[in-house]
Amino acid sequence: MGELDRHLQPPARLKLMTMLATTSEVEFVVLRDGLDVSDSVLSKHVAALSEVGYLRSRKGTRGGRRTTWVSLTGKGRKVLTEHVGALRAIIASVE
Amino acid sequence: METSPARPTPEEAAAVLRDAEESRDRLAEDLVLPPYFHASIGASIVAQIVTGAVGIARQDGAGMRLVVLGLVVFYAVGAAQLFAFRRRNGVWLGGLMSRVVFGTATLASTVYALAFGAAVWAAFADLWWVVAICAVVGGAGYVVSGVRWMRTYRSDPARHGRGESLLMVVLLVLSSVVLGVLLVIGS
Repeated sequence: MGELDRHLQPPARLKLMTMLATTSEVEFVVLRDGLDVSDSVLSKHVAALSEVGYLRSRKGTRGGRRTTWVSLTGKGRKVLTEHVGALRAIIASVE
Repeated sequence: METSPARPTPEEAAAVLRDAEESRDRLAEDLVLPPYFHASIGASIVAQIVTGAVGIARQDGAGMRLVVLGLVVFYAVGAAQLFAFRRRNGVWLGGLMSRVVFGTATLASTVYALAFGAAVWAAFADLWWVVAICAVVGGAGYVVSGVRWMRTYRSDPARHGRGESLLMVVLLVLSSVVLGVLLVIGS
């Protein structure tokens, strides 16, 4: 069983990481709309998770305009798997 | 990984996990393919098999240039569709690139290899109608495989989204480009 990671305790961060786990890279605006949060809230989550090495962000373009692309790192993927495993173990403990 | 003693209740854990999985599934469900995505990839494979088989059977300079032309058409169509997908969705899916466009899915690679081999044999035997049939079968195999992959991805996005590594796809493209250059120089 994995352990809960304190950086993934806020539900928005778990949602963000889970969305990124299904893709190779997602544009900032798509994540913001999917999470239903403001630009500044998402920026803070992305910055915090990038700082601990779970996410990678880079400047790029989409349809000719500048934007930010975000992806999960190998470390982030491993941590997410362990965190989700820990959550499932907690759920299973009462089933 | 930094752990925390703060432990959610089973109900809280179930709610937060369900919420995250719903967001993930919605993202996968909302992805839209560009118009004629599968059809254009299938058609470019048909063209590539025909030009490849005919070019190899001719065994001259013009034939080798035909082989390269087929590869260029395939890569151009594939790249255009992948960039259209990325622009439309704001998402880059490695699995779509490797499994669907570059045909690393088992069905696509198997049908393609058999169809291309049979088409080359038919071209050497001057059976042009067999070349055409093989090319269509190869293209259809690619289309069926692509449609199937998209369905599989949507049913389990966490497992299928990334596909093969970008390095492997780059090596695949580079090796065919090098082969093309060698064919043209050798002719």
